[in-house]
Amino acid sequence: MMIEDIFSSRGRVRILRILSEIGELNISEIARRAGLNYSTTNEHLLVLEKAGLIRHKTFGRIRIYRFDETDAKARSIKNLMELWEQESGQKTGK
Amino acid sequence: MPHPSVFKDETKLDINYTPPKLQHRSFQLQLLNQYFRHSVEAPGEMTQRVIVTGKVGTGKTVLAQHFGRGITHEAQQRNINLHYVHVNCRQNKGSFFLMLQRIVTRFHPTFPKRGYSAEELLQTLMQILDDQKAYLIVTLDELEALIQNEGSEPLYKLSRTEETRERAPRRLSLICILREPSWLNKLDASTRSTLQGNLIQLDSYSKAELEDILNDRLRLAFKPGNVAPETVTLVAELGEEEGGNARYSIELLWRAGKYADTENVRDVLPEHVRKAAGSVYASVRREEIAILDLHRKLLLLGISRRFQQTGGAHLSMGEAEESYRIACEEFNKKPRGHTQLWKYLRALASLGIIKTELSTAGQRGKTTLIGLPHIAAADLERELIRILQPTVRGYSR
Repeated sequence: MMIEDIFSSRGRVRILRILSEIGELNISEIARRAGLNYSTTNEHLLVLEKAGLIRHKTFGRIRIYRFDETDAKARSIKNLMELWEQESGQKTGK
Repeated sequence: MPHPSVFKDETKLDINYTPPKLQHRSFQLQLLNQYFRHSVEAPGEMTQRVIVTGKVGTGKTVLAQHFGRGITHEAQQRNINLHYVHVNCRQNKGSFFLMLQRIVTRFHPTFPKRGYSAEELLQTLMQILDDQKAYLIVTLDELEALIQNEGSEPLYKLSRTEETRERAPRRLSLICILREPSWLNKLDASTRSTLQGNLIQLDSYSKAELEDILNDRLRLAFKPGNVAPETVTLVAELGEEEGGNARYSIELLWRAGKYADTENVRDVLPEHVRKAAGSVYASVRREEIAILDLHRKLLLLGISRRFQQTGGAHLSMGEAEESYRIACEEFNKKPRGHTQLWKYLRALASLGIIKTELSTAGQRGKTTLIGLPHIAAADLERELIRILQPTVRGYSR
């Protein structure tokens, strides 16, 4: 999968940002925070998981997603997200 | 200029604070450690259930928390992934679901709050423990609330869940805390049989034990020398009266410190304890004082004034008599004799307005010692004068 496929989607970037910020979340909560509907969120998550950036664990009917810390690309993106938030926060004085 | 606070660190008197050393519960702590020895020596081999009972303020919660801290520390040193979670059933509205959720969020803080049943949540918990190769000791504090709300089911499921997992490591152990073991009779026979066996009964603390606990805490919470020994003695006495209740005693000591701070003084005195006790429980009501006959009121007036002069925790019978005679003179009344006064004292004690006890070591002979545990002496004097003023002629103050 090309990097453009990941970063060209505002929804996918938003999901990555949420996961880097919160750590791990279930689909409904990711959808709520990202302002997306359930099925769109689900599709984005499938793409991100296929790219090896995130992984999930199933507890009964609940799927919980998080960054795949074993993947170097995932770690780099997570670091970028954190750095970005930090820098933006400093600039806006938050 | 305001005086600095009497406190060094008042958080050490907080209800949720677990002290580094557990006073007068070392045997029970050792017993708990013995029951759960397998958790650190042979994790996964077996599961354990222990019941801890005792009245309010007898150290049940602190015992379990202390144990939890110790055993997780030991497990960490042995590279065993052992967790201790303390859940209060009452705070969780006696809901099995909410309690399980509380436990699961210890492992997954953002775990969704809705969309599954308690049974699914229990399965989730076991799955998490398996995934993380973790072992868990859960304390269910104030278990009465869970039994009252949901009956036998939760305990049955918790204690039997391991049995349905054949050949899997044993991961979940339980400590159940409740005041009265009789609550277990409300459970069905099979649940009861899985729980009963290891029972640790905590007796009420004695006055001397409460003093040890208080002295321990005051060293952590107050600046050195700010709390007089007789202040501690009085707090311990009141704590013993409240059923050997350490929690009440510690809170009372804290409140007394607050009164001292409010008055901007350096020392926490018995009078502050009386004020604090008065603010916690309104044991002495105005009506009770108003209906006393004249000489009982005068005796109380003398006692209240004497306490304010001495600032001590107790008065002797002789001191009370002397102050009573002065009060009689002031109100132009002929004082009653010693035997009559002694009867008055007994009556006042039975009403709970004062407390009497026989003197022990350190005093010549035996005398009746009088305490004023529930009301501040100054408040009592004010109330008595308010009542006596219109009824007694010749009052000239």
